[in-house]
Formats: sequence, C-alpha cells, structure tokens
Amino acid sequence: MMSSSSLAAALLSSVVEEHHHSSAKVTVVGTGQVGMAAAFAMVTQGIVSELALIDMVETKLRGEMMDLQHGQAFLRTVKVQASTDYAVSKGSKICVVTAGARQNEGESRLALVQRNVEIFRTMIPQLVKYSPDTILVIVSNPVDILTYVAWKLSGLPRNRVFGSGTMLDSSRFRFLISERLNIAPQSCHGYIIGEHGDSSVAVWSSVNVAGTRLADIKSNIGKPDDPENWEQVHRDVVSSAYEIIKLKGYTSWAIGIMVSTLCNAIMKNQRMIYTLSTLAQGFHGITEEVFLSLPVVIGEGGITSILNQNLSADEARKISESAKTLHQVVIGVKI
Amino acid sequence: MEATTLADQLLVRIAEEHDHASAKVTVVGVGQVGMAAAFALMTQGVVSELALVDVVADKLRGEMMDLQHGQAFLRTVKVVASTDYAVSKGSKICIVTAGARQKEGESRLELVQRNVEIFKFVIPNLMKYSPNCILVIVSNPVDVLTHVAWKLSGLPQNKVIGSGTMLDSSRFRFLISERLKIAPQSCHGYIIGEHGDSSVAIWSAVNVAGTRLQDICPQIGTSSDPENWEQIHKDVINSAYEIIKLKGYTSWAIGIMVSALCNAILKNQKFVYTLSTLAKDYHGIKEEVFLSLPVVVGESGVTAVFNQKLSEDELEKIKQSAKTLNGVISGVKM
Repeated sequence: MMSSSSLAAALLSSVVEEHHHSSAKVTVVGTGQVGMAAAFAMVTQGIVSELALIDMVETKLRGEMMDLQHGQAFLRTVKVQASTDYAVSKGSKICVVTAGARQNEGESRLALVQRNVEIFRTMIPQLVKYSPDTILVIVSNPVDILTYVAWKLSGLPRNRVFGSGTMLDSSRFRFLISERLNIAPQSCHGYIIGEHGDSSVAVWSSVNVAGTRLADIKSNIGKPDDPENWEQVHRDVVSSAYEIIKLKGYTSWAIGIMVSTLCNAIMKNQRMIYTLSTLAQGFHGITEEVFLSLPVVIGEGGITSILNQNLSADEARKISESAKTLHQVVIGVKI
Repeated sequence: MEATTLADQLLVRIAEEHDHASAKVTVVGVGQVGMAAAFALMTQGVVSELALVDVVADKLRGEMMDLQHGQAFLRTVKVVASTDYAVSKGSKICIVTAGARQKEGESRLELVQRNVEIFKFVIPNLMKYSPNCILVIVSNPVDVLTHVAWKLSGLPQNKVIGSGTMLDSSRFRFLISERLKIAPQSCHGYIIGEHGDSSVAIWSAVNVAGTRLQDICPQIGTSSDPENWEQIHKDVINSAYEIIKLKGYTSWAIGIMVSALCNAILKNQKFVYTLSTLAKDYHGIKEEVFLSLPVVVGESGVTAVFNQKLSEDELEKIKQSAKTLNGVISGVKM
C-alpha cells in the first residue's frame, strides 16, 4: 500500500480527522453462497454504508472483497473490508452469521448441531467482544437451535438475538399463493411459523388478500378435504430448499434477500412484522425455553414486540409440537 | 381444478392481462456472471420481468425458483426460465454472458472460434423473439464477440453494446479513490480500448471536481512519476486474473456493471459509460473493429460517441489496440 500521496495532499486540505466507522455497519460471517448473496443484496440495495466479511480462508475472503469493491463507483456502500481477524467487525450494528458445518452423510442432527456449537463457541463471543451493542442475526442451520445457542453464548438480551427462521418460508408461501391467484406476492399476506423445517406451521386461518381471508371464502382451505388442495402450497414450501439444492446445488438468492430486507428494517427502525426465530416460551402454551419463528416487530433495537396471533386449535397444537421437537434437540446439546 | 376456484371467487376479471412487462430483460447464461447480473437487476428493481436462458434445464429451474422465492420483497414481477428461447420474447434488452472459457494451451483465436459457434446459435434465436431488442454482450473476449454479435444479429451498430471497459473504468476509479481517500463516485477517470491487456488509461482526463490530477502532477501515469500512479492501471489489468486466483471467478462487479447499464437503457438516462462499440473512424482508427470508447447510452442504445481528446501516446496505444483486435476478427470464420 502506497504511503500518503503528495498528490492527495496537494489536492485536498484536511479539515478534521475522519470518523472511524460508520453507523450503518454490518458484518457477515461466512463467505459461502448464502453469506455472499446476503452481502451482495445489501450493497446493491444500498442498505449498508460499511460491510465487513469474515471467514477462515484468506484468499477467498480477499477475492470476494475485491470483487465487491470494484463495483463501488456505482453503489452507495462506502467501505468493504475482509479479514480472518474478528477485529474487522468492530462497531457493527448487525452481525449476520451464515457460517457453519453442513450435514455429513449419515450424521445425526444432534451430531451436526454439536459441531456447529463448537464453531459458534469461538465465533459468537468474538463478535460480541468487538461490537457489544450489536444485533445478532443467525442464518446457519438448523437455525432455531443455533439461534438459541448464539443467544446463550452471547450474553445478549433476547431481543437482540434472532434467527432468519421462517421469514423465507413465509416469502415462498406468499409467492406460491400469488401464482395461484395471479396477483403480486406483495399483495398476498400469509405466515408460516414454528420450526424452519419440516414441522413448520402454515397459519391458514389468517391468509388474506386485501383483508379478505381466504378461509372465509373457502372454509376447508389448507385441510386434507380441500378439493383445490391448497395444502400442497405449504408442502411445496417445506420441500423448496431440498428441490432447489437438487437443481442448482444450494440456495442463495432468496435467503440473501431475506437478510438484506431484515437488516434494512433494523437500520431504518422500520417496525415491520416478519416471522423470525425468537424465544417462544410463554406463547401459544409453549413452556419450553426454545427459539422458533413467530411474527415479530423489528426495528433498531431488534425485536421489540411479538404478535399475539390468533391460532386455530389445530395450529396451536402443531406449534406446541414444533416446540417439543426443538426442545428435545436443545437439551442434548452441550453449550 | 373446479370451474369456480377460490381465485375466481376472490377476483372479478374485467380485462385481459398484458402479455409481458415493458421492462423485460433476458439473461443468456446462468453461470456466475449471468446470475450476478440477474440478481443485481432484481435487487435494484431495474427490471419488472426477467427471463433466464441456458442449456442445462435443472440449473435453470433451480436458479429461477431461488429468485422467485424472494419476490415478495422485490419489485420484479415475473421470473421465467427455459432452454427454449421463446421465453425471451419481447425483451427490451438481451444480455449474453454465455460462452466457452479458455482451455489450457488454447490460443485466443481458437477460443474465439468456439464462442462464435455458440453465438451462431444464441444470437439469431434472440433476434427471432425480440427483433427490436438491444444486445448487451459480456462474454469474453468481449470486443471481438460484440463485433461477432453485431454481424450475426443484423442490428444497427448502436444497438449492439459490449460491457467492454465499463468494469475497467470502475476498478480504475476505485483504486484512485483509495489513494485519495474520497468516494470512487467523486473520482472521474476513463479506461478505453480493448477490455484486456492493451486497454488505455486516459490520464489526461482523470479529475476530481473538475481538477485534473495531471495539472497537479504532470508526469502522472508515466514511468517517470515518483508516486507511480501507473501501477493503478496495471492493477486494473491484473484485477481479473487476481480475483480468479483468489475466489475462482469474478462475478459481483460485472453484475453491478450490467445492472447499471440496463438501468441507463431502460430509463433513457443518457449516462456516459466506456462501452465496446464500433470504433472505426475515431482516433484515426481505420479498421472495422469494436472497442471501448466513452459513449452516451439510452433507450435506443448508444446514441453518441464522445470525442475525447487524447495525447499522442494515447492515440498510438488505441490504434495499436485496434490493430490487435482486427488481427483476431479477421481470423474468425463467421
């Protein structure tokens, strides 16, 4: 790196020292497909003024950083840094965690979780060390378990640690509903809550378009006796990830958009409602200390409220079961 | 499905839907570059409709689904994908990122010929379904392939544009901004000519707020410059090789270039970018070649070429660039 340029000194007279890091700084841990899709979505949408990338492989990190920097003349992101050293994350408003081990063939879910706990044990305290006021957004799977683990390891209050959870499931749900109705997904409102996984719960009772509940037009919507088989929409959501992985090897773009949207909501204190993985104890009869997705209000302080959603008896039962399943995994984990 | 579905009960139709949106863009090639471009176009709300075309159906479908699943949070209305070019019908812009990569020991001319064969299939198919489109060529070697695309398409030359040195100029501005510690947006500089080793950095035009760096440092960019600003241009040329070595390929920056270019076209912005265009008769170039010059770009493609004042040395270099490119294009069998 060149020392201070004398041309620079001749061109610009300094008036005051530069501010060390901007207030809209986000760190992304993990520069795999998900991490980079999230990073790219954030810079193309002008959501962050400063981005830090952290991972374990220096060459990849540097390559990704340079590739983002080279587009900067056309973007609103001011600074992109990358390092294997967590010090680069200093002063982050949000830390997005996408890093983690993937399931080995024949590996039990609990074994996978334990491997990821070891990784988080190094990572989480470092992030909190350099950004004690940060908000932790966990994306790594299984997201509900790992968000719980991150919360325990971080010592942060529960409103500042949450997982991307079923934000993506809900987005898929709305897209698939929109395809059937031939209108924009933005105008189709529907929520999937609970585990981000096979036991997620589609809240059919509140699926609506312009306030008109689909369940009011069609009382058996989402049920097995529905001749239009709307339940297939939820099944398709659950199998989406598997299908995309089979077709292109991994998923990236949609989850990248979720992360970007979420970070924007936090940065701008938007108070949007998204289904995110949060401490669910005390809701819908859940007694266990587990994290799973519920509709929450998100802003600068993280999760500030949880929606008291009206669930049908069946939906409430399902989410209770989701909680029990997750709790079984959590109690087997050595944190 | 029953005759009266929930959809019918919910919404009363009063008019036929429009076939496709007016801001439709097709991306041919869903590799790293094509998908970075597609994702940037979507996250920046540049397109209302996006079509992806490639030869592998599974990968196409997977990419399409992955983009669609984020749609509730974006402004893009429709994402379609197919190995059948009919899916590209009615595109305002067709972006070509498809093409073979250089094999070990393969000559540049051999690589070009392989890509010409691919273009002989791609270009006429695109023209068949979107005869009024603008072609944006990204595949390398971009200057030669833009020329090839122009010949194969039958389009007027202003409607066939190569991404060219738009990326080089972006890298140039970033590296200058690092030395001056100000935003790259406030550093203005242009690299023209071949998108490759013989590109030409126009040091005489590099400026910040209208102040030419050359006025402060007359040897800037020359070998007698004690601050060695010439290294910046060398770093630009090496950038792609370096990033490929580090992460395997480049994607994000070129994706951003394509998105910015499409935005300029669709919104008739009339920005000046350095893009690969027919350069005959500029700067004393006699050959019919495509190489990058600063051009004005809008809804009809390239509408004007900037009459840039070049130094003797820069003129010499760009004529050399043109000769090199002419050597390649004359060896190509269309």
